[in-house]
Amino acid sequence: MASSRDSPSDRAATMYGELGNKLVQHAKRTQSLAHLPPYQTEIVRAVTREVRDLDRDVTRLLEPFEGAFNPSADPAIACALLVDHLCMRRNKRCLLAYHRVRTEKLEELCWTGVDILEQQQHMDGTQTALGPNGHSSLSPEEEEYFRQYGDLLAAYKGQWTDVDLTGTLEPPKDLFIDVRVLKDAGEIQTEYGVINLTKNSQLYVRQGDVERLIAQGFLERLT
Amino acid sequence: MSYYDIDSILTDSQKLPCTFELEVPGLGILEGNAGEDIKAGTRIDLPLWLGEMLSIGARLGTSRLVTLDMPDALSERVMNALKADPRTLDLRALAPHFYNLSERILELFEEEEMVDVLTDTFKKRAAEIADHAHNSRGAVGDGVDFLRGLDETERQLFRAAHDRAKEMRIWSGEARRK
Repeated sequence: MASSRDSPSDRAATMYGELGNKLVQHAKRTQSLAHLPPYQTEIVRAVTREVRDLDRDVTRLLEPFEGAFNPSADPAIACALLVDHLCMRRNKRCLLAYHRVRTEKLEELCWTGVDILEQQQHMDGTQTALGPNGHSSLSPEEEEYFRQYGDLLAAYKGQWTDVDLTGTLEPPKDLFIDVRVLKDAGEIQTEYGVINLTKNSQLYVRQGDVERLIAQGFLERLT
Repeated sequence: MSYYDIDSILTDSQKLPCTFELEVPGLGILEGNAGEDIKAGTRIDLPLWLGEMLSIGARLGTSRLVTLDMPDALSERVMNALKADPRTLDLRALAPHFYNLSERILELFEEEEMVDVLTDTFKKRAAEIADHAHNSRGAVGDGVDFLRGLDETERQLFRAAHDRAKEMRIWSGEARRK
């Protein structure tokens, strides 16, 4: 049985939609990871290039008919057009699904209070939620999305000053906890007055006051 | 079955044998020969998203473009093996999204018996999966081969059963969180 699967070595004759498939497999892996793997710029670019090629092919096929194409008179051309169209549609679906999986992940990070942009600047720090390579795993568009979504979320949360919407749902066992300051965070205002967070100091504070700072990596909880 | 559903996109990428009913110029790329024509009667494995639409599109137009065949994963031979003992088969090797694929295929083919065989397979294997998921030795003991052969749907089922059992123990106070 002749099969396109049997000739993977033939690079030039990659079946349409195969690259899009690779992208979706990346998305599948992303779903089960805790961090966001690097953005596949190369594949995304190759898939969009494939769509442009297909579109050019459609224009070329339709050229001789000068706008008066009749599918039933020319079933072979109609079939070729259908295949081109379906491949473009498939690629579109793969691209959209890939980006959606990633944006959903970004939104999730926003809600849990992980500042992925902040972490990228502190790559030399101990904890990294990023890939092993030094540079950003987000595309520039994704960075912008993350920033703006964060702003939206902050504006939304701002409506309720007495409830922390992104706070944990687990009831705390102890109201007060011991924390160690990992990075200078300056002064913060609490119900019991101002506390000054200088690096390496150790404090006994109300858990609700410092939860965000722990999530952001400024403080470490001591048990 | 959402437009953005990753599993359903991957299901659609699984291949099934198609036969072209007419000669199409320039479509050789489907066969691995870019720039060539496809002759009538050529048999190629096409992904479901392409083959399905080509065969359906034919019903609306004048002549058939492509006829579909059953994929190997759902062949007579596999059905017989499933009838004999569903638990011994490596479904993952047949098709990573075996049940999703069969669901899509059965929308296109009229196969009453296959529905029964597959339903029965799923039931019997689900019981086995639940067994492994609740047994702490499940993932390391003799079940390894069986668990490696689970298709994607079954994997999710296994994970759900496994996690729920753990959460139940935490809730009842037998185990501690983390």
